[in-house]
Amino acid sequence: MNIFKKKEAAQTEGTAEESKQKKEKKPVTLDIFDFSGDNAITVRDLDLFYGEFQALKKINMEMPKYQITAMIGPSGCGKSTLIKTLNRMNDLVEGCRVVGEIIIGGLNIYDRGVDLSALRKNVGMVFQKPNPFPMSVYDNIAYGPRTFGIRKKGELDEIVERSLKQAAMWDELKDRLNKSALGLSGGQQQRLCIARALAVGPQILLMDEPTSALDPISTGKIEELCEELKKDVTIVMVTHNMQQAARISDKTAFFLLGEMIEMGDTEQVFSEPKHPETERYITGRFG
Amino acid sequence: MTKASSTKVKDTSAKVLFIVCACLSILAVFGIICYILAASIPAFREVGFFQFLFGTRWNHNTDTYGILAMLCSTLVVTVLAVILGGVIGVFTAIFMVFWCPDRFHLRYSGPNKFVQKMVAWLNKINLRTIFDQIIKLLAGIPSVIYGYFGIIVLVQGGLVYMDPNYRGYGVLATCIVLAIMIIPTITSLTKNALEAVPAQYFEGALAMGNTKAQAVFRVVFPAARSGIISALILGIGRAVGETMAVQMVAGGMVNFPTGLFIPICPLTVKINMEMGEVVPGSLHESALMATGFVLLVLVLIITLSVNFVPKEFKGKKGTRVLQGGGENVVYRKKGLIPEILKYCGMVCAGIVVISLAAIILFICINGIPNISWNFLFGGDGYEGHSLAPAFLTTFYVIIFTLIIALPLGIGAAIFLNEYAKPGSKFVKVIRTFIDTLSGVPSIVFGLFGYLLFVQIFGRSVFAGAFTMVLVILPTIIRSTEEALRAVPMELREASYGLGASKIRTIFKVVLPSAFPGIATAIVLSVGRIISESAALIYTAGMMAVASSSVSSAIDPTNAGSTLTVFMYSFFAEGLAYEEAYATAFVLLVITFVLNLIVYFIQKRVKKKR
Repeated sequence: MNIFKKKEAAQTEGTAEESKQKKEKKPVTLDIFDFSGDNAITVRDLDLFYGEFQALKKINMEMPKYQITAMIGPSGCGKSTLIKTLNRMNDLVEGCRVVGEIIIGGLNIYDRGVDLSALRKNVGMVFQKPNPFPMSVYDNIAYGPRTFGIRKKGELDEIVERSLKQAAMWDELKDRLNKSALGLSGGQQQRLCIARALAVGPQILLMDEPTSALDPISTGKIEELCEELKKDVTIVMVTHNMQQAARISDKTAFFLLGEMIEMGDTEQVFSEPKHPETERYITGRFG
Repeated sequence: MTKASSTKVKDTSAKVLFIVCACLSILAVFGIICYILAASIPAFREVGFFQFLFGTRWNHNTDTYGILAMLCSTLVVTVLAVILGGVIGVFTAIFMVFWCPDRFHLRYSGPNKFVQKMVAWLNKINLRTIFDQIIKLLAGIPSVIYGYFGIIVLVQGGLVYMDPNYRGYGVLATCIVLAIMIIPTITSLTKNALEAVPAQYFEGALAMGNTKAQAVFRVVFPAARSGIISALILGIGRAVGETMAVQMVAGGMVNFPTGLFIPICPLTVKINMEMGEVVPGSLHESALMATGFVLLVLVLIITLSVNFVPKEFKGKKGTRVLQGGGENVVYRKKGLIPEILKYCGMVCAGIVVISLAAIILFICINGIPNISWNFLFGGDGYEGHSLAPAFLTTFYVIIFTLIIALPLGIGAAIFLNEYAKPGSKFVKVIRTFIDTLSGVPSIVFGLFGYLLFVQIFGRSVFAGAFTMVLVILPTIIRSTEEALRAVPMELREASYGLGASKIRTIFKVVLPSAFPGIATAIVLSVGRIISESAALIYTAGMMAVASSSVSSAIDPTNAGSTLTVFMYSFFAEGLAYEEAYATAFVLLVITFVLNLIVYFIQKRVKKKR
């Protein structure tokens, strides 16, 4: 029994590895996605298993372009798991198996042969804990472009400046570009991570509880930033903070025990939730 | 009332005792430096310090002593070995941490039951553990065995055909043997450094569209830089001080290392070659001590420089002025170099496995046929060579060393972990001295033992044991300390809560629960003692093979050869290769068994937690 399970895991791993290697042989353009449709992300009948355990059950949702979609729900409800499937970071987890479709820019990202690098370049991610690399501020931001073959100083400088401006940090950081990123405050580190993600020009930004490790002032700054950023990118955010979801998101999805209970316009979900469970969760949290 | 005060007295006196134990490593380092310096002063005075350092001739018949050629040999060989061994070691570590699969994923659906079982069994093996054990085994193999492997397989089996003079030994052979010997040190330390890099860095890089290879080589590897540099430095220290293996493949002629097949004589080799025939009190003896002193200083500088490796990333200096003006940026798919580096990792790991397999095969094929009961345990009645006296001497050295070193080492560890304020200056100083002591080359320990303990006990098992105490003290302190640190604070608090004194808590609660760690320390020390040779030749002695007998070895005040020294004397006397192989096989089995014991102790500890 046990051996069987591991073989299964090995198989999924194997296919991921294989598809990775296949792509690397061909010269690939990274713009394989077509974001002209209305929805940036469409999830269809998604089931996700960790070994035997089913973490997500028949998820169906659509995330419209240039809007902020918030995912809320109690701990262990699967919202972080879901956000990690959107750029296939779950591939790292051993024994993780996905059934169903996630369509981003016209492609099912779980199809064989989808280029992970291209996917993750277009679908950036910001983590719960700020994770700047142990390099200078400049090198952190230039890291992504450099790995995608941009070496010219002029181009890199421009990208660094643009990304920092986009993340509203240029004025704070322009004089300390060569200082270690680890010396920044927690809030600055997190915004730097956002700038770093923006530097490769993503269409979608995934944020997994981006403010849960930060103080209220830094949180406010990041929320402002999100409002600003949604002009250019689609944002999907997991949050534990109900007010945050209510404040900044356009759409809200409520999850419970691996199922999506309800999704709709944020105002509607918070003012007149259709589902009693949603109501209980929201009022429980507020009251 | 009296009881309370007597407990207090006990507590204080125990504390003082522990402090003394901890300071012993400081005393040892200073003792070694002072004794060897004092013994080398006549040479420095007679020859002249600069003449000694920069003189190119060494002839003890005319009392001309200059070590420049030897110093150069040591440095050149070390640099080449560290480049070779460093690359292989670091890449092997990268492979082990990031690409080594957990298990085989073999599939077999044929009808043969036996094959099915074999496949299932193979699939169950944990490859990472196996790889770990391979590295540990390589680290535990005595250097005399590496020397044999080098001279027989490497030199006579390969290099001799590449050398225009058909000798084969010299610079290249020494480098390769040294490289193989420092790979375990570098690999295991690099592995620790890589594993200490937070997983978030790796994930962060992947999330930006990096391939695994890109993330590893562009983020994780640079983040582990300081640890890897430390690993390389310790590798250098090890290479500079290595004696026995180098002696067997270097050629032993004083030359400048001007070509790959030039026979050379690094510092350690000179000392080891001539200490045996030296006249006590002569200028020659002093010159050899002075050579040892130079070696010691060299190693001290190297070991201490680890402390100056910057721990954290510091930004580059100067400000970059941004000038915009890039055109439309095109992102391309890149990452060929990291992919290539990934395969380098696999190749290097393969090299390590193959070298170990080659060494083991070489020893087994040549050794097993020569094993016999009489060879192992035949007493004085047996006509041929027998290991019995060597077993006896080894046993004595182990027992006496442990009796002295264990209390001292455990005491020092108790002070460091239970009494001292963590992070205080005093603790830092002691730690530095412990590290320094562990970096001192064994031949220098040998010289020190010759100067101090041999004067007291004569050339005997006792002198050898006292010398070995210094050699294994750092190992014991470190592993005991690790074990003590792993004992949960709650246990101590519970004991204090019941009114127990500190000393009672330590002996009744802390030490018993740290016992597996202490057991590991003992086994590691035994391994170190068994594999040691350079520190023992001039202290416990090196008996001529023919004159060693059980009746002489039974008395620990006599001189005697331990197993490795015995094996070396087979080589030095050029007599009995069969017996040397058989001894090597015995040593290999012992090393393997000791590693296995450590593995099982640690596995049990892990399970309990």
